[in-house]
Amino acid sequence: MTSKLIRRTFLALSLGAASFTLSACDGVTVGVGYGYDPFYDSLLWNDYYHDVDVDIDVDRPVRPRPPEGRPPARPVPPIGKPPARPRPPVAKPPARPRPPVARPPTARPPIHRPSPRR
Amino acid sequence: MFLRLSSAFAAIWLSAVPALAETPVTYTDNGRALFSFSVPDFWAVRTGGPREIEDTELGDPRAVARVMGVRPVTDDTVWIGFVSPAGVASIDGGLRYLQDIDKFLVKSPVVSDTVSTRIGGLPAQVIRGTGTREGRGVNFTATVIDLPRDRVAVAVAVLRDGADPAYVDDLNAVFDSFQAAR
Repeated sequence: MTSKLIRRTFLALSLGAASFTLSACDGVTVGVGYGYDPFYDSLLWNDYYHDVDVDIDVDRPVRPRPPEGRPPARPVPPIGKPPARPRPPVAKPPARPRPPVARPPTARPPIHRPSPRR
Repeated sequence: MFLRLSSAFAAIWLSAVPALAETPVTYTDNGRALFSFSVPDFWAVRTGGPREIEDTELGDPRAVARVMGVRPVTDDTVWIGFVSPAGVASIDGGLRYLQDIDKFLVKSPVVSDTVSTRIGGLPAQVIRGTGTREGRGVNFTATVIDLPRDRVAVAVAVLRDGADPAYVDDLNAVFDSFQAAR
C-alpha cells in the first residue's frame, strides 16, 4: 500500500515537472537560420574587381595546364569479321535407366475339370 | 517610426553611447588580424572566408574577401557586416568599392549625408542613406575605415523599417568597440 502511494506521488510530480518544462520552452525557440541572408549575400557580390586586378589568396590547388597541340588520333578499330566463335560441345543427357518391364502373367484358359463321376 | 529611426541612426558617431557589445571578434586575413569589434549579447556572427563566387548565368568568377555578418539571433530587421577587400588601400578606394556593391545591397539608394569622422581613432568616412530591399524600406549606414598597412574596413549597417529603435544602441556599441589590430 505504501509503495503504491509512493509510486503514484512520484508519477504525479514527474508529470507536473514535465508540463512546466515544456511550457518554459514555448516562445524561446530560436528559428533564425542562415539559409537566406540578403544583406550578407549582397556584401559578397561586387563589381569592383572587374576593373581592378587583385589577386585574392584563395586557398585552392593550381589547375594543371592542358597539353599543348592537338591530342593524338584515336586508334582505328580493325575492319573485318571477327573469328568464328567455337561452337560449344553439345552434351547428350545420360541414358536413362530403363525401368523394369513387368510381364503380364501368362493367361491360361481355365481348365475345366470334369466333375467326378458319381 | 521611420523618421525616428533615421534620426536615431544618424546620431551614430556623434554621441557617447553605453557599451552594450560584449563578445570581441577579430577579423583576420591570411592569419593576420586586421581589426576587431564586439558583438552584443544574443546576436549571431556569420563569417566567411576568401573565395571565388561565380554568376552562373554570366559565368563570371570574381574574388571575394572574408565577410562577417552580425545580427540579432531572433530578428532579421537589423544587420551589420564587415569586409576588408583585398587591394583597397585608401578611403577613396573603399568608397569606389562601396559604389560597386550598393546596387546589390539596396534598391533606389538615396544618400542623405556623408561625414568624415574617426572610428577607433582611425580616419573614416560615413555615408548614410535610405533605399528599399524586397519591398521594404531600409535605412543604411556604410562606413569606410582607414586601417594601418594599406587596408580599409568596410562596414555596412542596415535597419529595416519596423526595426526596434533599441537596436540603434547595439549598432552604436558595435562601432564604438571597433579598433584596429596592432
